[in-house]
Amino acid sequence: MNETAGLERGYRRVLACYPKAFRQENEQEILGVLLASAEEGQRRVGLAESAALIRGALRMRLRPASRPPRTVHAAVRLMCLGAVVEVAAMVTMVVTAASVKAALGKEPGLTVAQWHAALGLLTFKEVSAAVAVGLWLLLAWAISQGRDAARFAFSAFFALTTLSMLIALARHGAAYAPADTIAGAALWLIALITMVLIFTRPSNTYYREGARPPVARAAG
Amino acid sequence: MQEATFLILTALADGSQHGYGIITEVTQISGGRVRLRAGTLYTALDRLRSDELIRVDREEIVDGRLRRYYRLTPGGERRLAAEAARLHANATAAMRRLSPAGGLVT
Repeated sequence: MNETAGLERGYRRVLACYPKAFRQENEQEILGVLLASAEEGQRRVGLAESAALIRGALRMRLRPASRPPRTVHAAVRLMCLGAVVEVAAMVTMVVTAASVKAALGKEPGLTVAQWHAALGLLTFKEVSAAVAVGLWLLLAWAISQGRDAARFAFSAFFALTTLSMLIALARHGAAYAPADTIAGAALWLIALITMVLIFTRPSNTYYREGARPPVARAAG
Repeated sequence: MQEATFLILTALADGSQHGYGIITEVTQISGGRVRLRAGTLYTALDRLRSDELIRVDREEIVDGRLRRYYRLTPGGERRLAAEAARLHANATAAMRRLSPAGGLVT
């Protein structure tokens, strides 16, 4: 009995990811199914079960009130891809930092001030990549919810991405940090396609109508 | 339609089922290939309910816990029938093209 209580407590913690209204209506039932599916004598929450629960919670929270057109759907998916590429870019930056510094070091005409400026830029780019991962996800969520303001926030984000890529190109970043530049270009391309998708006519109609707040579903 | 959704609707096609019942039915229908997780099932049930493809048939209290039985709505039956027909047509076409003589493979 004690074992089940511990397991139930564990699953309750995972279920806390779900929206409150959903939890109030379904928690007891889901716990029943989780405990029924548990192995004999299982004390800890199952990894696969927890992963499925978290995935379900994410999907539920990302689900908009009125169904968005395909363009918005595609844009949200692209933005999630953007977050993944951004993480990859960040890892690339950290991993290749040494070789970038080495390439800069071989540059004969580089003054100490320029060297420090380049290193500062490198650190700045690493930090801003981390911030960008969060922004990609946050904006993806807001856009999927039909928030019109999110489209304009994304436009500003796109402008920044464009600017940072142009700066990198102007500073001959491609020569010193080819991997970073490729990742930057890929991100810019993803952002560009997202821009096109969220400002096409079907998307405009969807945002003009404004997404209603999620309707509370009646029980039964 | 995703496979999990298709299998859940299929599990409900011949009568109402509760959550755990749907999981065991789906395992059986898929020949043990698909083992639905509670998280996957309840996210799907929530969506199917809001799409009005299924509804709650009745509620029972078993061992102090609420147990809901779900069933297909007429709309759900139509959707499942349409999807089954589509899959059947695709499968038939694939089998026909795979067989060397161009005839039906049984």
